[in-house]
Amino acid sequence: MPRASDAAGAAVRFDGVWKKFRRGESTDSLRDLIPALATRLVGGRPRADELDAASGDFWALHDVSFAVRPGEVLGIIGPNGAGKSTVLKLLTRILKPTRGECAVYGRTGALIEVAAGFHADLTGRENVFLQGAIMGMKRAEIARKMDEIIEFAGLGEFIDTQVKRFSSGMNARLGFSIAAHLDPEVLIIDEVLSVGDAAFQQKCLERMREFKGRGVAIVFVSHNLQQVADLCDEAIYLNRSVQARGPVPDVIAAYLGATKVRHANQTGGPIDVVRAQLTDETGATVTSIAPGTPLRLTVDYAAREAVADFHFGFVVYRSTDNLIVYDGNVQGEEIGIPAVQAGERVRLHFDFRPHLTRGQYHLECHVFHNRSQRYLGRLAPAGVFTVSEARTYAGIADIELACTPAGAGESDEDAARAARGSTHRASRARR
Amino acid sequence: MVSSLSRLGSDLREILHEQVEYRELLFSIVQRDLLLRYKQTVMGFGWAIFMPVLNTIIFSIIFTRVTRVDTGGIPYPIYAFAGLLPWNFFATALRFSVASLTSNATLVTKVYFPRELFPFSAVLVSLIDFAVAFTVLVAMMVYYHIGVTWVVLALPVILLVQIVFTCGLALLLAMANLFYRDVKYLFEIVITVWMFATSVVYPVELVGGRLGALLLLNPMTPIIDAYRAVLLRGTLPPAAPSARAAAVALVMLALGWVVFHRAEFRFAESI
Repeated sequence: MPRASDAAGAAVRFDGVWKKFRRGESTDSLRDLIPALATRLVGGRPRADELDAASGDFWALHDVSFAVRPGEVLGIIGPNGAGKSTVLKLLTRILKPTRGECAVYGRTGALIEVAAGFHADLTGRENVFLQGAIMGMKRAEIARKMDEIIEFAGLGEFIDTQVKRFSSGMNARLGFSIAAHLDPEVLIIDEVLSVGDAAFQQKCLERMREFKGRGVAIVFVSHNLQQVADLCDEAIYLNRSVQARGPVPDVIAAYLGATKVRHANQTGGPIDVVRAQLTDETGATVTSIAPGTPLRLTVDYAAREAVADFHFGFVVYRSTDNLIVYDGNVQGEEIGIPAVQAGERVRLHFDFRPHLTRGQYHLECHVFHNRSQRYLGRLAPAGVFTVSEARTYAGIADIELACTPAGAGESDEDAARAARGSTHRASRARR
Repeated sequence: MVSSLSRLGSDLREILHEQVEYRELLFSIVQRDLLLRYKQTVMGFGWAIFMPVLNTIIFSIIFTRVTRVDTGGIPYPIYAFAGLLPWNFFATALRFSVASLTSNATLVTKVYFPRELFPFSAVLVSLIDFAVAFTVLVAMMVYYHIGVTWVVLALPVILLVQIVFTCGLALLLAMANLFYRDVKYLFEIVITVWMFATSVVYPVELVGGRLGALLLLNPMTPIIDAYRAVLLRGTLPPAAPSARAAAVALVMLALGWVVFHRAEFRFAESI
């Protein structure tokens, strides 16, 4: 029996892993082999675990270490080319580390290219057997789960159609469905949750949580930071080497700080959005708040030209997926600033209460010309804040949920309780 | 020395362990390839019969009308077919194997399982073809009134030796073609020359001289001759050459498998 964890209790362990790759082409015809062999014989070849920069070697991974225990979900985030896929390929034994050690204990399921084994000319059902076997399921097991797999993928009678007639969404759904019926101890997931429509994605996330609850150790790689935030306990921000690690909101914040927030500083236009400062009611700089905390963004504008007929825009984004949470305008006339003169400076206070659930958010301020439908000036991010709370499972809006035992007269028990005067307002958990 | 031996030991353990773990996948892949063949071609398994039969007709014309060869009293058509049948198995298995890794590039780069499953499934699929075409041989034996004797019990052993040898070569060829695509073309030339260097359509002993002596080193000749011995002549194949062929086959498989296993982790990067 394979052990489900190592001595330190980890089901997945990456220990000082380095991985070397080569830019450009390597020798792949016999014509190139002979000179290559000649150099090797002469001894001009460097050690395999050293970098030979002259031939275009580079470290795709640079001393990466992490561990995942059963029931934990580790998220790996980072820009394209950061080495995320390389980590997954090392975990699934497709690649071997140049230096260091990488170990996975227990039956491993990999949700990478879930439809990789599909053959276009086979029917859905035939492909389920094939792909299932590729993922390490036994034939009898696949046969037993066949109905569930078809049901989960929502394919119905299409299952006996050749896969080449499937839409790409059907393909991916079937692939994911097979993977979702694995019974792994370690699960390695790449980006695949981005297949299918919103309902299917939701179903996939549910499934991942179910796995987690069952004590499966999960490594989850995604560009969808919101999914990472929803699913993971811990995350690392990878860019060839580990840039940040720890609780998900911190790591996401570090990553966003480095890259993700869409910078839209438009300077040199008719109006500059010079500066913005986000504070709470007391004027203190804000980082992490509870839902509904009153905030104030103070923004300075400077006009280069005389303009009129504009509005001030205020946008709140959820940073993890750039979802627009709020986009509202204040017309200049409304606040007594129908026009500005060249050189004029304006300072505005935007007071708002973000009734949002936990996550990372950022603000954008702009000035928009109504007639020409163009931005006069724009600043993003104008402010960044994190909402912390521990009640919600998923979602965006904080609806100030309260839960209390029902009042007198509704039931005998409640009546008795009400008589004792013990009605509670559900207290909000805050982090 | 000790460390390289212990490494060999651990390689062999890994190899065996993986075969047990992934045995069902091998059959799934074989099944896939058979299904595809059956679906995509009109003749399906008819092709398995067509090629050796066509070759038998051609060589029968050449070696009975144009010139004659001494087949030791066996009618030429069945002599040729009994040689072409196992040879076709050998050549087709290797031809599929050569491209087996490169044509499954997505799987090789995306999912891990023992890569030897690809060449092995190529060999197994060709084995099915062999079994189908074997029925023609049986029909010819009935036609020529050639009865079977108890020596036919040696047939599975001969087949096993051939499979072992084929698998060893298949592993090396699939791997070589992954690193150097020239191998595919080189293979076609080699396999054509090799057929005429083997007792497939004429007894290679007839060559004689130094070239003949050289040709005797070819392990495929004793294998093909062994089929004819047990099926057509009703005798056991000569011991020494058969044992030699079996030894070569075993060495080839062991060598191929260990080399393949050690290079395996570079496949995804090199394909």
